[in-house]
Amino acid sequence: MIRPLLAAFLLIAVATPKCGDSSSSDGSSAPLMNFQSIVVNAGPTNNYFNGAFTSVTLCAPGTSTCQTIGGILVDTGSSGLRLLNDSLTLSLPQQTDSSGAPVAECFPFVDGYTWGAVKSADIKMGGEQASSVPIQVIASPGLPAIPASCTSFGTAENTLDSLGANGILGVGLFREDCGPGCVNIGSSNPGLYYSCPSAGCASISQSLARQVLNPVALFSTDNNGVVIQFPSLPAGGSATATGTMVFGIGTQSNNGLGSAKVFTVDAQGNLSTSYGSQTYGGSYLDSGSNGIFFLDANTTGLPVCTTSTDFYCPSTLQSQSATIRGINGANSAVNFNVGNADTLNGRFTAFSEVAGPNPGSFDWGLSFFFGRTVFTAIEGQSTPGGVGPYFAF
Amino acid sequence: MVPTFAPRLARIALLPLILMTRPPEASAALGGTVTSVDADRVHVQGALMRIVQTGPVAMHELRSSSGTMIREYVNSSSGTVFAVAWDGPWIPDLRQVLGDHFDHYQAAMRARQQARRARGVVAIDDAGLVVQMGGHPRAFTGRAYLTGQLPAGVQLGTIR
Repeated sequence: MIRPLLAAFLLIAVATPKCGDSSSSDGSSAPLMNFQSIVVNAGPTNNYFNGAFTSVTLCAPGTSTCQTIGGILVDTGSSGLRLLNDSLTLSLPQQTDSSGAPVAECFPFVDGYTWGAVKSADIKMGGEQASSVPIQVIASPGLPAIPASCTSFGTAENTLDSLGANGILGVGLFREDCGPGCVNIGSSNPGLYYSCPSAGCASISQSLARQVLNPVALFSTDNNGVVIQFPSLPAGGSATATGTMVFGIGTQSNNGLGSAKVFTVDAQGNLSTSYGSQTYGGSYLDSGSNGIFFLDANTTGLPVCTTSTDFYCPSTLQSQSATIRGINGANSAVNFNVGNADTLNGRFTAFSEVAGPNPGSFDWGLSFFFGRTVFTAIEGQSTPGGVGPYFAF
Repeated sequence: MVPTFAPRLARIALLPLILMTRPPEASAALGGTVTSVDADRVHVQGALMRIVQTGPVAMHELRSSSGTMIREYVNSSSGTVFAVAWDGPWIPDLRQVLGDHFDHYQAAMRARQQARRARGVVAIDDAGLVVQMGGHPRAFTGRAYLTGQLPAGVQLGTIR
């Protein structure tokens, strides 16, 4: 499936950079518009290490007042679009609760939280469009102080320096960023959404439809998932790498599953990985993680870097093997290399051999995506490989 | 207070489910005394699921109201919480769970942000504090421990 996709890409690049609402379905001769490029580079902070970035066009809902923002991290590990307020020149409508107070969100990632208003925008990517999508505008002005229940998630990622990107595009397994837990009333609600009158923010229940949503699920077509495709990289890395994000799975001639295997996930979005004689649940595919983070130095025999305990630093390239297994029993052996992250960092920005420790689990991050076509199917959406959520590669 | 506490802990360890009645204290979990485990339980509006005694270590398992399991590891002879671990849909209240070490954690994370290193996992090992976190929204895992307070013979693999 790589060759037709490349051919289509070249055709589009040469012929029609802009394209209307052409509904190209199978069999029509209209050029495919269900994709856009993603690039691995140093990002908007000019020092990012192995991150995949793309652009998103936002419009004030129902208008042609639009803005295209680049430097947005592509993340299959979360759902929903989050943008730094500083990157936004567009005025977008604020979501309000029944009392008219602005609604804000505190969204936890492993490394920290993003805080900001929930606003609404039309979102365009490739030839696709989603209308009135709730998004998070990080560090939007005019809100009261960040509540302590939010800052207790850890470290703030509310600036370009701390986030490392102009935003995060969550194109993960789920339709909503939080899901049913945030609909709960009372103490079982995890407290991600807040009503923020000027007196201060208080945790609220948030219906599924009003949560920050995966924009792909709201496209009128090609809305059952995304395909992320990157070329292989040479040992030692590349200055940059360019890939493609295709919308839809099995909906067009360029997004078929082909020979890819479907690996279903559990309700939390996890599958398992076997390494040696052990099997580790709680494993996942995450383009927003910048390496393959797995197990620990004792188990792998790979030394942790001295300058950064986040990565492995073997003196020579080490080959590793593990088996990814879906909840459905499908399995696939994965061979990968682990290089010296201290030596690699600073030379280039794109690497397939960046890895680090993650005791008791496998986080198959961006390094895994090079040389592969990885499908992420959204929960509840039908595809030729079954109903999401699942990963396939 | 520490010497009188150890036998009491041994008694309650025999019971599968205990509703502790001591009033919550403001003291922290990691690095705090065993009484801080109950402060954590109250703070997360959770339930104490079980206490498991293994050699010199008592593991107190709490379930937060939003479904995250928090395990706190107590050195039975000193009464000190030397490690905490968690897994569940959302990150627990780290200010509560890391206690006096939360500020240290924050400082280490800010230093790490400057270096623009790993994204997706956390692996802090700084001046006696280890914090390791992984996962993604709806499935977070993590653990933290004090390297200077690990009881002799405790395998790190059992802290999870």
